[in-house]
Amino acid sequence: MKDMAIDIPVEPPAELKSLFIPIPPEYVEDAYNKDEYLVLVGPQHPGSGHMRIILRLKGDIIMDAIPDPGYVHRSMEKLAENRLYIQNIPLLERPSIMDPGNYNLGYVRVIEKAMDIEVPERARYIRTILAELGRIGTHLYDAGILAVFLGHTTGFMWPFGLRELICESFLRATGTRITSSFIVPGGIRWDLDEKVLDFINKSTYTLEKRLKGFERIFIKNPAVISRLRDVGILNRREAIEYGVVGPFLRASGVEYDVRRVEPYEAYPELDWDVPIAEDGDAYSRFLVRVEEIYQSISIIRQAISDMPGGPVMSEDLIGRIKEKDKVSRDIRGYFYRIFSKLKLPSGEYTVLTEAARGTLLYSIVSDGESNVPYRVRIITPGWAYLRGFMESLKGSRVSDLQAIYGSFGYFPPEADR
Amino acid sequence: MVTIFGLTISEIMNIMVKEGVSIPLIQPLIDFLLKIPIIQYVVALILWKPVFAVLILPGLGGLMISLLFIIWFERKLTARIQWRMGPLEVSRPIAGLMQPMADGMRYLFQEVIVHRGAHKPYFVQLPILAFIPILLPIVFIPAGSIYGINSPYSLIITVALLALIPVTIIAIGWASNSKFAYIGSVREAFMYFAYEIPFMIMVLGMIIIYGTADMATIVEKQGIWGAFLNPFAFLGILITTAMATSRLPFEIAEADQEIAFGPFVEYSGILFGLVMTLAYEKMYIMGLIVSVLFLGGGGGPAIPLLGDLSPAIWLFIKALAVMMVMAFLRSIYPRYRLDQALRIGWNSLISLSLLSLVVAVIVRFMGGV
Repeated sequence: MKDMAIDIPVEPPAELKSLFIPIPPEYVEDAYNKDEYLVLVGPQHPGSGHMRIILRLKGDIIMDAIPDPGYVHRSMEKLAENRLYIQNIPLLERPSIMDPGNYNLGYVRVIEKAMDIEVPERARYIRTILAELGRIGTHLYDAGILAVFLGHTTGFMWPFGLRELICESFLRATGTRITSSFIVPGGIRWDLDEKVLDFINKSTYTLEKRLKGFERIFIKNPAVISRLRDVGILNRREAIEYGVVGPFLRASGVEYDVRRVEPYEAYPELDWDVPIAEDGDAYSRFLVRVEEIYQSISIIRQAISDMPGGPVMSEDLIGRIKEKDKVSRDIRGYFYRIFSKLKLPSGEYTVLTEAARGTLLYSIVSDGESNVPYRVRIITPGWAYLRGFMESLKGSRVSDLQAIYGSFGYFPPEADR
Repeated sequence: MVTIFGLTISEIMNIMVKEGVSIPLIQPLIDFLLKIPIIQYVVALILWKPVFAVLILPGLGGLMISLLFIIWFERKLTARIQWRMGPLEVSRPIAGLMQPMADGMRYLFQEVIVHRGAHKPYFVQLPILAFIPILLPIVFIPAGSIYGINSPYSLIITVALLALIPVTIIAIGWASNSKFAYIGSVREAFMYFAYEIPFMIMVLGMIIIYGTADMATIVEKQGIWGAFLNPFAFLGILITTAMATSRLPFEIAEADQEIAFGPFVEYSGILFGLVMTLAYEKMYIMGLIVSVLFLGGGGGPAIPLLGDLSPAIWLFIKALAVMMVMAFLRSIYPRYRLDQALRIGWNSLISLSLLSLVVAVIVRFMGGV
């Protein structure tokens, strides 16, 4: 097809000069000389958080996409340097508040690794359940955001309605709907009784039944498929090169899951699959996450049925306390006696966790003397796949931006930390 | 002696009463009102069939009632599908039926902001001017014996007037002078061509089947409903109705997640109320046309108590049913991309309309109706 050009003098947006935007003036000049133009999307994006995307367009086609993240940066790494190890748990789960299980787990496991704490088996199973509940909740949240980006309001309301089950499970188990801070070094805060586990088990059946309805109205809807199929493709090589993580990497055909590669908690004892897809387009990124919800449901059911008895708090931490039997089931009232003097041996400790949106890295540097970390490093999955997200935008139409954005479930508060 | 067009007032009264709508149910009341000195003129005028058609049913009154009902129905239905309650704060005992009325009141008392960049005269006039192509077609749509103008070209005139509505929407977007309004207008223009041509072809097919463009005759000829005579045209026209009234798989010009209601982004207050209801008003007119062409128009079991009003009520109910089907789409579909919608319009819909044209010709040669 012949390349058509219309010679209309187009001025660059005034914001390029009046605001601080991380692109050099030469880039702007180059774009406008080549019959291309720049469109600033955001930062007031009505989707899932604040981020600016600078799109370089030729007609309707995205030639280049430059992210301008950082609008919800909360300086978590620096804040963490001034708090006790135990006080960091609520802080470091804030990046992704709908996924508290995995975010707690990642941080707590660094401390356990550093201090070589043995976690009781029952606590490991309960932690697994919490992590998987958070994964389901996050995937449902992202599905809702994707649906509303495409203008499908029912697809927005149903997952958010279903997420109520997850929130209610968290409420009954931990006392809060989100940001539970329930997982602590050496175990969990208190034991879950049979009634709560029974509720979680039953709610997975409701969830599964309702998900089938969601599948009919949204996932297999021909209009949804035509919006998502063959859009924002990342092939296997690109996905690896750009460092895409989690379900988005698996959607490009790479079978990498930290739960499989470096097993932790109760995952090696349970039977589950790593769903992968080959296409690497927006639809397969979405389908992989839907399949993960089913896998998580299966993991939760197995964990509840195979749940061993025993304490939920590690001997290593409560060894000095007199009322050991009571505390090993419920640490309420003994919290600061156990944790306030927590000190890590000097060195650097890194642990990978599979959070809902991908690989989550926590790294702590300790000087071995103080009761606060010397340095905490978090690499959230959102930050890791931002590059892949931007690369997959290239070559698509402007109206596909929403579909691709939603298919990555990009959550700026998580990426910006 | 006062004369109007050479007629005395009593002669005019005679004409109006003779051609008045007869409703046996309230005939005693009408008879009583016709004896009161001044009021008799007003009552006779309103009940005069051409005026009644434009003012009450299927005209302005029906338009307003259907508007208030369909907005409530759409919100309530969508809410029920989405496990919500829907509007309930205003008038709880009747399930929030007054909510659209309350919204209208709010629009009425809200400040109308005309921004600096707008082309002021057009920006303010166009929402009101847009009513002309919406109200004019009603004059030609017959509801039994109630009609404004009886013309052998009534269907063609109606469709032609209907095609003017997108022009006003594009003009609204131009007068708004804003980026989003501009994108919305361009999208509207693209969509306009994508659905208007198949729509015209399918209407042409129906004219071939009935052998006339007079809507009154079309209704009379429908022993079998047009929907069964030519199901392809019926399906196609339902899809074009969804496209023309920007219902959800094709709500591309107004895409609120992408361009914040497109052409209407700069409006506020009662002007926004007017432009927001444009699509619903168009849906009402298209519902009437679909009822006349495919669903037997005002035909239906006659209700003796309602007299002349019976066909009008049937027509209104059928139009409302079509609108309810359209309202249902909102909760099932996401939005197509512009290029996909255009592909549907220029590819599938044109094929469907040509197919319906072939079917129409076959039906015509088989003996027609």
